[in-house]
Amino acid sequence: MSNVIEARGLSKRYGKTLAVNNIDLSIPAGRIVGLIGPNGAGKTSALKAILGLANFDGDLKVLGRDPSKERAALMEDVCFIADVAVLPRWAYVHELLDVTERIHPRFSREKCMRYLSTTKITPKHRVKQLSKGMVVQLHLAIVMAIDAKLLVLDEPTLGLDIIYRKQFYTNLLNDYFDEHRSILITTHQVEEVEHILSDLIFIQDGRIALDCSMEEVHERYTEVMVKPDQADAARALKPLSERHMMGRHIFLFDGVQRETLAQLGELHTPNVADLFVAVMGAGDEYAALRAQQAMAAGGAA
Amino acid sequence: MNRFLALVRREYQENRIAFKVTPIALFGLYMAGAAMALFTFSYFDNEFSTMKEAVRFIANSDESIRSQAVWLGNLGGSTFFTFVLGIVVFFYLLGSLYDDRKDRSILFWKSLPASDTLTMASKLATAMFLVPTLFWVAYVITHIALYIIAAVTILLAGENPWTVFMSVANPFKAWGLVLASWYANAVWALPVYGWLMLVSAFSPRLPLLFALIPPAVISVLQIWIDFLRTFTLKTNLGGVLWQWWVDSPIINCCGEENGTVGAFLGIPIDDRFDHALTIGNMLDRLFSLPMLAGLAVAGAFLGLALWLRSRATDN
Repeated sequence: MSNVIEARGLSKRYGKTLAVNNIDLSIPAGRIVGLIGPNGAGKTSALKAILGLANFDGDLKVLGRDPSKERAALMEDVCFIADVAVLPRWAYVHELLDVTERIHPRFSREKCMRYLSTTKITPKHRVKQLSKGMVVQLHLAIVMAIDAKLLVLDEPTLGLDIIYRKQFYTNLLNDYFDEHRSILITTHQVEEVEHILSDLIFIQDGRIALDCSMEEVHERYTEVMVKPDQADAARALKPLSERHMMGRHIFLFDGVQRETLAQLGELHTPNVADLFVAVMGAGDEYAALRAQQAMAAGGAA
Repeated sequence: MNRFLALVRREYQENRIAFKVTPIALFGLYMAGAAMALFTFSYFDNEFSTMKEAVRFIANSDESIRSQAVWLGNLGGSTFFTFVLGIVVFFYLLGSLYDDRKDRSILFWKSLPASDTLTMASKLATAMFLVPTLFWVAYVITHIALYIIAAVTILLAGENPWTVFMSVANPFKAWGLVLASWYANAVWALPVYGWLMLVSAFSPRLPLLFALIPPAVISVLQIWIDFLRTFTLKTNLGGVLWQWWVDSPIINCCGEENGTVGAFLGIPIDDRFDHALTIGNMLDRLFSLPMLAGLAVAGAFLGLALWLRSRATDN
């Protein structure tokens, strides 16, 4: 099957700032791709180009269409949620469902009502009466009820409580996703989505820093918890990163044989957050975040 | 077509207070005015003898005078509706491409498979046809209610309402002309509508100021340059806009030089167009060279607004 998203030399410039810098992307059908990057990395700019919301340089095809010229036609097969609750505050819930039903040929009102039945939202509510989390719930229910081929989620669960976040990702996987659909997710809460991702893309300063499947991640990257006396031997194998926790040295390696690493200490598959910190380099917000988490974990212990 | 109608319906729902409540409020104002008039009469003259006398005077007057008075009453009742309709359409168009950028709901609307062209067309059609139609329904209902009040008053005065005014009234013609005039004026006003949508598409904030200040500044500058050149410039933007209003196919009731009062198209102070109230004169304006120039200006404004809309997101 052809790729759902195919980009060659995609760039997006805002004045003197190059938000997206000559990136290539190929996302096949039936994948759940995490687009991860720090603030200002170019995630939203890339998504806006993909959704036909911004002009761009380079070649970009989404479901075989040029998004900058065929946005309306593209939106029959693509749906998206932006990073904030953006539903019109003046509308009643039933009016939003009406207009979506009349405009979108792939929207199922019945399915939407089924999702809404698990929330406190009723058709008689006005959007401005709902809390921010409820607005997100409503938007997610509308989007999940659209039989789209590509779903783009930009920080979809921002403002939601943990129970609904878990429920949303469970629904996404069980009720929505199949081999004919693709999902592109950007989020800072990577630990919540990593178990559902099939592919991982890291983006930094407008460039792709990593683009591979989760299987490849598991094959290529290994984390080793090393005792202090083995640390120099581990460093000799040129790890991607090194950090310290509870008196142990934790090294992350790219493409080193697991048999070799097993002699140094205990092996783990790195989580996406640790891999992100390692690939993107220390000193960014994620490194700081991990350090805070480690301190919190130490304090709790 | 379904998508277009769905978008028009959305416009109605978003602006239900301006589009639905305002005409109802106008109806209420007219009814309140009628009630206050009756109350005032009864306050000073509880036997309504003055009113009865006035009704008898009208009943005995010449048919042509009654006919002219009722005809002017028919059309004069529309002018307040026309004025409020203009205000509603002005503010609606000013917010039409601005409000969803302001509250960021543009991202939701752009996630639906409706093109920017269709979206803009639905907004323009709402301003040109839906809002005038809703106001027209309220105008007709108000008119009917006023007819009923007048008929009851005449009956109470001991006269026959049919012979006094109903037989010489031609409400259907008045209603038809008012609706035709509002539609014709919507076409005539397209350059202004285009300007308002363009301002709505680009204003970062306060679209009202962006809409009014540039034409005002240009007009003042032109007048000033005119003054410096000892009044050699024949026209300026302010003059063009005034002439556009003078020539418009909107119904105005006003006095003539000979002291009589009449209903006209536009303002009868020059003879660039025939100001007599006929459908033919409305069409004469819509198929004129000024209208052609106006359509070119409207096309430029709307094209630019569409270009801005296609690039507009939440920032």
